[in-house]
Amino acid sequence: MKRTTELRKTVAAKLQQCVVIAIVLITLGACGEKSEKSTIRIKGSDTMLPLSQKAAEKFMTVDSSITITVTGGGSGVGIAALLEGTTDLAQSSRKIKFDEEQKLEDAGKHAVEAIVAYDALAIVTHPSNIVNRLTREQLEGIFTGTITNWKELGGDDLVIVPYARETSSGTYEFFKESVLANKNYVNGIMSMPATGAIIQSVSQTKGAIAYVGLAYVAPSVQAVEVSYDSGATFVAPSVENAKNQSYPIVRPLFYYYEQGAAETVKPFIDYMFSEAGQKLVAELGYITVK
Amino acid sequence: MNKKLSQDIAFVIFRILGLVIVCLLFWILGFIIYNGIEVISWEFLTTAPTEGMTAGGIFPAIVGTLCLIAGSMIFAFPLGVMSAIYTNEYAGNGTIVKFMRVMTNNLSSIPSIVFGLFGMSLFVNTLGFGDSIIAGSLTLGLLVLPLVIRTTEEALKAVPYAYRTGSLALGATKLQTIRRVVLPAALPNITTGLILSIGRVSGETAPILFTVAAYFLPKLPSSIFDQVMALPYHLYVVATSGTNLEASRPIAYGTALVLIAIVLLMNLLANALRKYFGKKVKTS
Amino acid sequence: MKRIVERIIESLFTVSGAISSIVIVLIIVFLFKEGFGLFSSPTVEKGYSLYINSRNQVSELNTFDITHIFDEKITNWSECGGADMLIKPFRFDEIFELFPEDDLEHNRELIPIRLSEIIAANPNIIAFLPQRFAPQNSEEVKELSIRNISISDFFGGKEWMPTSKPTPLFGVLPLILGTLLVSILAILIALPLGLGVAIYLSELASERMRKFMKPTIELLAGIPSVVYGFFGLVILVPIVQKGLNLSVGETAFTGSLILAIMALPTIITVAEDAMRNTPRTMREASLALGATNWQTIYRVIIPYSASGISAAAVLGIGRAIGETMAVLMVTGNAAVMPTSLFQSVRTIPATIAAELGETPAGSSHYQALFLLGCILFIITMIISITAEVISKKQHNKGL
Repeated sequence: MKRTTELRKTVAAKLQQCVVIAIVLITLGACGEKSEKSTIRIKGSDTMLPLSQKAAEKFMTVDSSITITVTGGGSGVGIAALLEGTTDLAQSSRKIKFDEEQKLEDAGKHAVEAIVAYDALAIVTHPSNIVNRLTREQLEGIFTGTITNWKELGGDDLVIVPYARETSSGTYEFFKESVLANKNYVNGIMSMPATGAIIQSVSQTKGAIAYVGLAYVAPSVQAVEVSYDSGATFVAPSVENAKNQSYPIVRPLFYYYEQGAAETVKPFIDYMFSEAGQKLVAELGYITVK
Repeated sequence: MNKKLSQDIAFVIFRILGLVIVCLLFWILGFIIYNGIEVISWEFLTTAPTEGMTAGGIFPAIVGTLCLIAGSMIFAFPLGVMSAIYTNEYAGNGTIVKFMRVMTNNLSSIPSIVFGLFGMSLFVNTLGFGDSIIAGSLTLGLLVLPLVIRTTEEALKAVPYAYRTGSLALGATKLQTIRRVVLPAALPNITTGLILSIGRVSGETAPILFTVAAYFLPKLPSSIFDQVMALPYHLYVVATSGTNLEASRPIAYGTALVLIAIVLLMNLLANALRKYFGKKVKTS
Repeated sequence: MKRIVERIIESLFTVSGAISSIVIVLIIVFLFKEGFGLFSSPTVEKGYSLYINSRNQVSELNTFDITHIFDEKITNWSECGGADMLIKPFRFDEIFELFPEDDLEHNRELIPIRLSEIIAANPNIIAFLPQRFAPQNSEEVKELSIRNISISDFFGGKEWMPTSKPTPLFGVLPLILGTLLVSILAILIALPLGLGVAIYLSELASERMRKFMKPTIELLAGIPSVVYGFFGLVILVPIVQKGLNLSVGETAFTGSLILAIMALPTIITVAEDAMRNTPRTMREASLALGATNWQTIYRVIIPYSASGISAAAVLGIGRAIGETMAVLMVTGNAAVMPTSLFQSVRTIPATIAAELGETPAGSSHYQALFLLGCILFIITMIISITAEVISKKQHNKGL
């Protein structure tokens, strides 16, 4: 019996320790920072995550009174969150849809639009691929499944493996509207959870082709020239060509916010348009608005 | 002779197989440790990510994971222990208890992504918590509930029946017996279960995808309704997105190592504790 | 007073005793409530309808015809029961290009009128329009009748194109088959290997070796799946691609490999336990009859522990089916009917994880993902109950 009480005592001590550890953890969790700071929540397009993330990071070093949260989810989700009031800024890689605007207005909200950068979509293939120029029609054929082998395009006898982004991403929709003329993608296209993974897959797969933001183009993949006039002129994706509007697959990147929340988000939006903000845009491989 | 030969061949095959598989498993571990160890530094553990997640540390993700561990345990631990006390001490051995055990077993077999769906539907949308620590903690808490219940039940079963009858014979009520005699004796094993649950919670990704995880949030949370970064989700993000995957690889290895370290540490601790108390109880 | 407190605490115990059951019921309620909403959703995107010219004698189109019309794979009305004329698909946004001078963004009441005009002017048109701007009381316009998504669309459909417009396609057959293919193959790989290691550990390895290996292998079972996924992405995908000389490395086979590696520790542990539980007397009886060790193992020990081993296999399948992150990262996620092991597949958990975050709550896509969750739930329930029945058999045999 004495042994048992001893055991009980050590056990009780252990229990106390556990409780103390738990309390420390809770306080760590609950009281991380108590001071009142204003927060800006950014949500939406995965394409814009690197941009918003870096801008938020730099902005907070300039103005430490504001905390910024950046979450992905896709353009549609960002705008839906704006409607539900669960985000302050919706980042979107496509223009707000007419019916989304309608829904916002039905809820008594008005979305303000700010174009903070442009993004060129580059078509990338494996570096060993000898096909280095494609027309819009050929791209449509590849991604809707009517062209399935590189030899049909003058390349090696190799099956074409197209990669796409997830179905709800703004990039997926923009590419569908701009390049596929609104037709649906071929059934069973390969899709990777994020653009970074697509780059890796393309660099490993001989027959691969994918569309990625210009910012993601790395030496491990080859960016092909694209023609939107049935092969008369081919233009390589680059910041200059996107700026002088000779490269065809360019889209604006938007921030949307509710008019009522303009005060909250103004410092960040101002930062994005400032020289420092636009420098970040250029650094990351996007195209500046000025 | 023939018999002997076939035995020798079979045994050689099994020996090789055993060693190969074990080597394979260790290769994975070694691969992560080898690549991750050079990234780990005090700075890596205590600063926020910088330069578009290609530099800096993972401090917010570590804190986030700690918050989720604490939150889910506060919820699941008492509930699980009470549930086990009921089924083991009060309910006898009728059909209802059997049914409850089956339910607990089934609950533990439900895939984590289904918990994620459920957590999103109930806590995030229906109860309106939004993406927050509380929603994530509750979801993770439900996920480990069966583990807590099962380990606690085993711990309670291991307490000799004589302890209970002895206490009751001395005039203690049933509740007093449980509180003063059964629980203290079972506590070491219950703690082991708690630690195992912590290991499980810290590694889960699917349930927190839609309930709490933030892509980038360098500031530490200030209330339970804040979002946080978390280690497993951070590893997923760093491994698959970002404009420069090559540059963020080291961060991914480092994150993976920290994650594994936490999980393995918890499991080792549980093992050690089990051994330590196992010996102690036997000698007393 | 004290008694009352005790009663309260005891009733608290009772309530929490039922917690697992309550959680399961809640999961069922929420999952199925959201999921079954799909079957009362129209086949065309919510809030939208299809309109044709009233002179067109077509009054109903099936889902695939609508998709093919807008993909321009069907180009003539005669192909779907109409007159011999070319089809002119029309999407709502095109109106802003046709009437730029009207500034329709601000004169919204003009939109329905303009739409009626367009449809009246084109007898071969099929227009995909929001219902709120439906062309009103015009003799010239006919709305196509739209049915709801049916159970056979969902379970029998072979195409998973959840954001296809105007008709999202929610065919889960490729996803279910993909999931089963990957997880069953994973067990087929892991079971013999795991069994081999279990035999080695329980029968051949020295006591010291076993004491060191067993806990270490148990530790490996705790490594988070996202870490395995990361390993698979960085190491396994290139190895599979180069080693087997495939056009892509993200295949069902890669997914199975990573799942097999993940399942190995569990299978080894459970199988080893089952083997060591073989009564000593049975072993000795076999050896006494002149059997070699090896004969004893495969004639006595393996048959004896068969149900324990099969329980391990079934549990392994259950875990593999629900595994999310690792599979998402290595299988390529192409939603096609699987025809070979070396092609990309999309599993149910990966689909949920990849798509749910980007789906607005309440849309039919959202409901379809919850229904996928229901399917996953039911499959794992069946497996868990099967495993329970099997291990009960083992228990009875032990008596």
